[in-house]
Amino acid sequence: MSETTHTAATTRASGPGRLLVAVYALFAVAATGRSTVQILTRFEEAPLAYSLSALAAAVYIAATVALARSGHTSRRVALAACTFELVGVVAVGLFTLLVPEAFPDDTVWSLFGIGYGFVPLVLPVLGLLWLGRSHPRTPDAASSAPPSHRG
Amino acid sequence: MSDLWTTIVQLASLVLAVWCGISAFRGQPMLVPHLIGLAVLEVLLLVQLVLSIVLLVQGPRPPDTVTFVSYLVTLVLVPPACAVWGLMERSKWGPAVIAFAGLVLPVLMVRLEQLWNAPVV
Repeated sequence: MSETTHTAATTRASGPGRLLVAVYALFAVAATGRSTVQILTRFEEAPLAYSLSALAAAVYIAATVALARSGHTSRRVALAACTFELVGVVAVGLFTLLVPEAFPDDTVWSLFGIGYGFVPLVLPVLGLLWLGRSHPRTPDAASSAPPSHRG
Repeated sequence: MSDLWTTIVQLASLVLAVWCGISAFRGQPMLVPHLIGLAVLEVLLLVQLVLSIVLLVQGPRPPDTVTFVSYLVTLVLVPPACAVWGLMERSKWGPAVIAFAGLVLPVLMVRLEQLWNAPVV
């Protein structure tokens, strides 16, 4: 836990990042709730769709926690989670568009997240942009003096 | 489910969203008036929770009662979560989070109504 790691992390999880984490938290709750109900009450109706919902929920939780937390590991986890979401929403979006019968019931990612106002499609993009903007710190950059930091 | 009450909560939520949106735009952090606004919204949501539970106990239930109740409970948790966020983030992004939540709540209420009015299969 060096000083620089801490500064890098606070800039990432504060300001606009905080709004992003809030939106992610909401999606984590929504996806977890939905998939829990689906799996507990009617798993056999659409096992693939409901398993996918659960997976999406887990990834949203991971992304929320990783975006909110400090440190390099969290940053990597957040990157992986956002990338996974983007791939997931595009893949499932295409799949539900082309082979609708494979998904008898909707998931968060069905038709590119149309049921959630396409937020599932926008969210990972914003997440990746934010992670990119809150600059990755290479070991070199961390050892040198940090550029002007304002409170 | 009381349609009138749902509309009232939706309107209150939108008003709070606009107000906090303006505050965020003007660069204000979350202040006491915002917290009071959140508290009012919370009371409205709690009334809705109680009303809906009474209706659930008395009368016909929506086909997907579990989802319906989980939505109800989630709604009640949103304003406190916003308050915590606003206290953690002492910048304009505090009200921005409240504004976002204020826009999402009415959508969740629409979903709630859909669940309530869903045809029994």
